[in-house]
Amino acid sequence: MSLPVTHNVLMAYADGRLPPEQIAAVEAHLAANPDAAAEVALWQRQRDAITTLFAPVAAEPVPARLRAARIAAEQNRRSGMNFRWAAAAVVLVGLGIGAGWFVRPLIDRAPSASDILIASAVNAHTVFVGEKRHAVEVWAKEQDHLVSWLSARLDTKIGTPDLAPEGFQLVGGRLLPGDPKTGRAAQLMYENAAAERVTIYITDALPDHASAYQFAAINQTDAFYWANAFITCTVVGSLPDEQMKTVSQSIYRQLTALDEGETPTYHG
Amino acid sequence: MSDFLDQVEAAVPALRRYARALTRNVDLADDLVQDCLERAISRRGLFRPSGPVRAWLFTILLNLFRNSVRADKRRGQTVDIDSMVIEPSTPAPQPGHIALAEMARAIETLPLDQKEALLLIVLEGVSYAEAATMLGIPQGTLMSRLGRARAALRTLTGMPAEPHLRTVK
Repeated sequence: MSLPVTHNVLMAYADGRLPPEQIAAVEAHLAANPDAAAEVALWQRQRDAITTLFAPVAAEPVPARLRAARIAAEQNRRSGMNFRWAAAAVVLVGLGIGAGWFVRPLIDRAPSASDILIASAVNAHTVFVGEKRHAVEVWAKEQDHLVSWLSARLDTKIGTPDLAPEGFQLVGGRLLPGDPKTGRAAQLMYENAAAERVTIYITDALPDHASAYQFAAINQTDAFYWANAFITCTVVGSLPDEQMKTVSQSIYRQLTALDEGETPTYHG
Repeated sequence: MSDFLDQVEAAVPALRRYARALTRNVDLADDLVQDCLERAISRRGLFRPSGPVRAWLFTILLNLFRNSVRADKRRGQTVDIDSMVIEPSTPAPQPGHIALAEMARAIETLPLDQKEALLLIVLEGVSYAEAATMLGIPQGTLMSRLGRARAALRTLTGMPAEPHLRTVK
């Protein structure tokens, strides 16, 4: 005649989540089973206590810092500033390319250190993102070991950025041969719920210790490279542009903060 | 877009309530909500899934809460005494009622996964299916967490399983 009244059915009844047509059957069951009735009554008292404790919070006036409109306005103001910076950067890069084109015959340059690093990073990305069991050498569950091992081998302090807000979890990392000049490289791999993977390729700083930024796209794989006095870092992935940008910015922010001697609160 | 902001705005009281119940700390809870709103608003259009805005906000809040718990475990946490939630300390007035202070302490002792699930259902009135989505778990797992949370609260608040005494014939 009716479904068996399981523990879950009783909980659904106590929570008011039971389909109306099942209520009568459960109530009949409760009338015949005082133990079950007592348990349901207890759950309802638990709910009443929890509601009494916390429900009033929702009626409190919302502080100004939690107003959605205000947060949105604040972000628009900031992104306006970012846009002006971006515009300035475009102009500068344009000037650089323009000038470079004219002096090109004078230089006839060999590939730069950054070109080699980017190519190595993209190559390593392509090789390992397809792997399942051997995607990394040390898995994220040994994160502390991974960080100290790679930091020791690269002779520079590296951390594992927290990309959870961007939807990515650390898979793990590996040590790789780097450019002949820089010797060794570390690759960190991240993965999101949709199984998209992003890798970060890190080496010790280049001999000139100069800051540099570079974007490259190789066979539908995007690479964002930067260098500073401590490391070179190349973020490699095939995400939609906006997402790639967000992830790269987050990594840049976190790894740069580490270089500036702040406590690396994100790793681990 | 302002429609999106309206939906966010409408969810704020519930987010604050849930965060307060999770952390039992006024400032910490509002910090989590602010962080959650900033992320959601900066990411509208980018990562926004097709589902309702409210569920998405709760998912973000939960992730931030877990991150902060993880960080605190590593760092140890200082709590400003003024920001701690003070429960009424009166004992249970009548048998059968659960003392509020006792319940507040009991909730704090619950394992995180049980606390998150129970508060979504009992306090936020979210449907089972939606809660399972927010927590990223199957509905069966949700039900077993609810069951364990309720059993744990019963033990912690000292309520006997069967308050009715059986008459001996």
